[in-house]
Amino acid sequence: MSRYILRRLIQAIPVLLGATLLIYAIVFALPGDPIAALAGEKRMDPDIVDVLREQYHLNDPFLVQYWHYIVGLLGGDFGTTFAGVGVGDIMAGKFQVTINLAVTALVMEAVIGVGLGLYAALRHGGAGDSLILAATLVLISVPVLVTGFVLQLLLGVRLKQAGIDLFPVAGVSEGWRGYLLPGFVLAGTSIAYLTRLTRNSLVEIMRTDYIRTAVAKGLPRSRVVGRHALRNALIPLITYLGADLGALMGGAVITETIFNLPGIGQQLFSSVYLREQPVVVGIVTVLVLIYILANLVVDLLYAVLDPRIRYE
Amino acid sequence: MRVTKGARLTAGAALLALALAACGNSASSGGGTASGDLPVRMELGEPQKLFHPGDTTESEGAEVLAAVFAPLVGYDENKQAVDEVAESIESKDNRVWTVSLKPGYTWHDGAKLTAQNYVDAWNYAANQDNAQSANGFFSRIDGWADLNPGEGKTVSTKEMKGLKVVDESTFRVTLSKPFSQFKTMLGYTAFYPLPKVAFGADGRITEEYARKPIGQGYFQFDKPFNKGTDQSIDLTRYDRFPGKKPKFTKLQFKLYTSSETAFNDLAAGNLDIHDSLPPSAIARAKSEFGERYLDQADAGVAYIGFPMQYNKTYANVKVREAISMAIDRETIADKVFSGTRAPADDFINPLLDGYRAGACAVCVYDPLKAGEQYTANNGPKTLELGYNSDGPHKEWIEAVANSLRANLGVEVKVKPFEKFAGILDELDEKTYGGMFRMGWAIDYPSAENYLTPLFSTIAIKTGSNYAGWSNQEFDALLAKGDSARTQEEGLKFYQQADDILIREMPYIPVYFYRTNGAFSQNVKGVKIDLLNQIKWTEVEKAG
Amino acid sequence: MSDTLAPAERPQNGGVGGHPGASRPPKAASLWSDAWYDLRRRPLFVGSAVLIGVLVAMAVFPSLFTSVNPFDAATCDLAQARQGMSAAHRFGTDNLGCDVYSRVVYGARNSLVIGLSTTVVTALLGGLLGLLAGFRGGALDTLLSRITEIFFAIPSILGALLILAIFRTGNVWTVMLALAVLAWPLTYRIMRAAVITAKGQDYVLAARALGASAPRIMFRHILPNAVASVIVVATINLGTFIAAEAGLSFLGVGLRSPDISWGLMISDARERFLEAPWPLLFPALFLSLTVLAFIMLGDAVRDALDPKLR
Repeated sequence: MSRYILRRLIQAIPVLLGATLLIYAIVFALPGDPIAALAGEKRMDPDIVDVLREQYHLNDPFLVQYWHYIVGLLGGDFGTTFAGVGVGDIMAGKFQVTINLAVTALVMEAVIGVGLGLYAALRHGGAGDSLILAATLVLISVPVLVTGFVLQLLLGVRLKQAGIDLFPVAGVSEGWRGYLLPGFVLAGTSIAYLTRLTRNSLVEIMRTDYIRTAVAKGLPRSRVVGRHALRNALIPLITYLGADLGALMGGAVITETIFNLPGIGQQLFSSVYLREQPVVVGIVTVLVLIYILANLVVDLLYAVLDPRIRYE
Repeated sequence: MRVTKGARLTAGAALLALALAACGNSASSGGGTASGDLPVRMELGEPQKLFHPGDTTESEGAEVLAAVFAPLVGYDENKQAVDEVAESIESKDNRVWTVSLKPGYTWHDGAKLTAQNYVDAWNYAANQDNAQSANGFFSRIDGWADLNPGEGKTVSTKEMKGLKVVDESTFRVTLSKPFSQFKTMLGYTAFYPLPKVAFGADGRITEEYARKPIGQGYFQFDKPFNKGTDQSIDLTRYDRFPGKKPKFTKLQFKLYTSSETAFNDLAAGNLDIHDSLPPSAIARAKSEFGERYLDQADAGVAYIGFPMQYNKTYANVKVREAISMAIDRETIADKVFSGTRAPADDFINPLLDGYRAGACAVCVYDPLKAGEQYTANNGPKTLELGYNSDGPHKEWIEAVANSLRANLGVEVKVKPFEKFAGILDELDEKTYGGMFRMGWAIDYPSAENYLTPLFSTIAIKTGSNYAGWSNQEFDALLAKGDSARTQEEGLKFYQQADDILIREMPYIPVYFYRTNGAFSQNVKGVKIDLLNQIKWTEVEKAG
Repeated sequence: MSDTLAPAERPQNGGVGGHPGASRPPKAASLWSDAWYDLRRRPLFVGSAVLIGVLVAMAVFPSLFTSVNPFDAATCDLAQARQGMSAAHRFGTDNLGCDVYSRVVYGARNSLVIGLSTTVVTALLGGLLGLLAGFRGGALDTLLSRITEIFFAIPSILGALLILAIFRTGNVWTVMLALAVLAWPLTYRIMRAAVITAKGQDYVLAARALGASAPRIMFRHILPNAVASVIVVATINLGTFIAAEAGLSFLGVGLRSPDISWGLMISDARERFLEAPWPLLFPALFLSLTVLAFIMLGDAVRDALDPKLR
């Protein structure tokens, strides 16, 4: 087992290098001059643009730029943004917000998604099952922007106007409460996936022989479901959760915007937009690392949940 | 130029601006403090850069600097430039200008404001090596060319010969050509001074300064701004300010990435002033804020432009007129913008002297005439209309496209660009053959600012003349206006230049912007000035 | 909304509740023909087939459903923007004063093509690679899994811009490509997990012991048992793809006016949702119905593949 973990961690090195090179190359290849993007709708004097290009080494060939970046990275320097701020500083602050948000969302989708799926599976074919199906359809088809603003208005603004200050409207100044609404909004579609995955896995497992045996043995229903069925249904669920982690971290642009949370999603988006290679590559590298670790944990959990699965 | 506000990114679309910050320093939650210490909380988008006057050409950064710096001139209710820090700004020939400063102004660190501070700041901003975005504003000053020899060439001097310090509180500016609007121009952010401490040993503005700019205005920074982590900018009144001071002591800019979110925060009582309400919030703002809802004219104009320089598709002015007449501006302003825009009927905005209501006859919706004129002049069968999707433009562009389809019987392809620079790139490469949207917010309140930067021949290279339209008669009239001895005389020439634009239609004016805001019960007397900035001296805390 | 949902749900309720009473095929056939025989007799399947049939008809012959041609700009009247439901506009009008009903009908084609093609491509690509990696394990699994880790982390905006840079235009196929490139790793992980679980089951070990060939074990024994979670993911993917398409439009990769799709309609109606919900709710409803139809289809297929239910 420990050799397996070690091997996986060693594999991470070429993956990380490959990812930085790939992302660096993509951003490099994208059309659009980063300096021009800075100027907005007023064209910059070409001479000024040239001075700036020189300043940011944008006139160097690709490999030279990449080399500068990697050398800096090995020395612990993530580079600077066009606004002259250190990428390392930006990432440190933003990943903190993003991790809070992603963990909140992950917990919500695990609890709500698995809970609803469990309920639907037990009421399989009944009214509750259909109702939950309809709810998941709403989560899939109504965009995050709408659920976000509607919840912000109803639970943030209206409640506060009514004197109940439960959910902050926006920002990170109110501590963990500020993550509840955005966490739920961000978890939306994932809740739909998990509900369906849980429901279908459980429905299937409840038909298997060993569950019938357990029921026949006279075990209480809660124990049958909790100990025997759910444990075996968990593999696809944790696989999904592991894979979803990155989407929650890097793809939360709209949620972060609605709730004014200064996270990685917005930063990544705007940096791609401004063609800020150091920021994009820095963030993606960290995200790849998180993925590698998350997938490793998930793979190890397979063996824990199903003793038949072994890693040499 | 100060386009960020107009181009405020909508939540669903791109998010150029980003707000930050794990550390909660919102004072709004402090229940125990006396109400006198609570700040007035003002909505702000994320500034693009750190702060120093020569490199701050977007609205959010300018809004912060306007609270920290005092301008040479301000603007009165009649839109005339009035001296603020300047004691007088005089010229006999519109070419040599003598600026003298009022006594008593000090920097926030206590140092005395001197004429040298202005000369230093302007020379710095005008030097191409410093790559300041406001560089072009100094191009009328004699000697600017020496500081901008062009790509790859080294700058041999650090000073413009047109800038001379006369004594501690007087300096003289010599322009390369007469310019009657020079005094009006001096209210712009780029013309603020810089203290000696702003410059490091290498002669460059230090990052330390740009994070906590020391100004000579009525507010000062509490602490350095951590771009990327701070969600607010906190200011305290500078009590040694000799001019008219605000009646409250603390001002807090709260940074938002979405103006809808800021509006919700305002409604929930976590914000005091919001001056850029999105169209989707107007109905709610009117009903929920009543008296505290602001709706006033704004100096911005939006156009549809043609690639005149290299594309012959739109060469016939009759075709351009027909396109203009086919656009139902009234309904677009009403339905798409919920009244946050007004139909345009001149190239000059109504907020400024020189505007003439109904000057542009072909800006009036006339679908029948448009269709006939378009067919009679063999207008192209297919049109393309480009816009940048990082701003709130999609809906009105689609509405215009529908108007053109219905009234001209043409096929209209709508082309989204990731950002405005994408349109500019294709125009520069002469690969884009379609029409494009374009917006303009003024830098200083003069009719001239709607003309020279957008339509003069020289602006094809250095300004914002993206159409590439060039007209000698127009250029000549601008030159006459620039050298006119009085404002009135100048205005006459500018209006004649405006007439040429209306005759030639290189762009189609579509709408004038309006400023829509709302404020909380905590404040009163909220007014927004010509440059879209809150007049902090008028604001008072209520109750 | 519940009104419209009810008929669609009915077959499902009946279907899942009642055990299939169909008679078995006369003699032993292959697993897949067995499944097909079984499928045709399931109300769940019939219900979803009818619903899908209607949606496909809408996509292919929109003019059967409405006499209004939304591509004719004259049918839009900006002055009538955001009107509620009326005789003239059954589903009301949108922000530009266009008829929502006819746009929903005409939007079906683009939305279904994008949703289905992307789902199929992701399911095939992710599914097959996941099957291979899970089954073979070892170096192949390592390589594929590390590649997916990179793909997972590519920001969607970056992927979309890259596609745009390569093709320089946006249409149904660039949308499909942009969505599929970023979505297949999820299907891959889910399939791989299911295969790893199934690999250890007794019947697979038995098949191995009997000397069955690797492809036979993979497709005959493992795939039918591993496909359930992939079907779940694919059906929901279908909905998210249809909705996500609009997100690409603003970058220039997606569809653009005068094209019509549900995703674009939903996206355009978002900001004024509080003032005028119907331009968003109706396309969202049809999107939901599409997903519902395929969820039902997925359930039916899975049940049919499950020998325990026979």
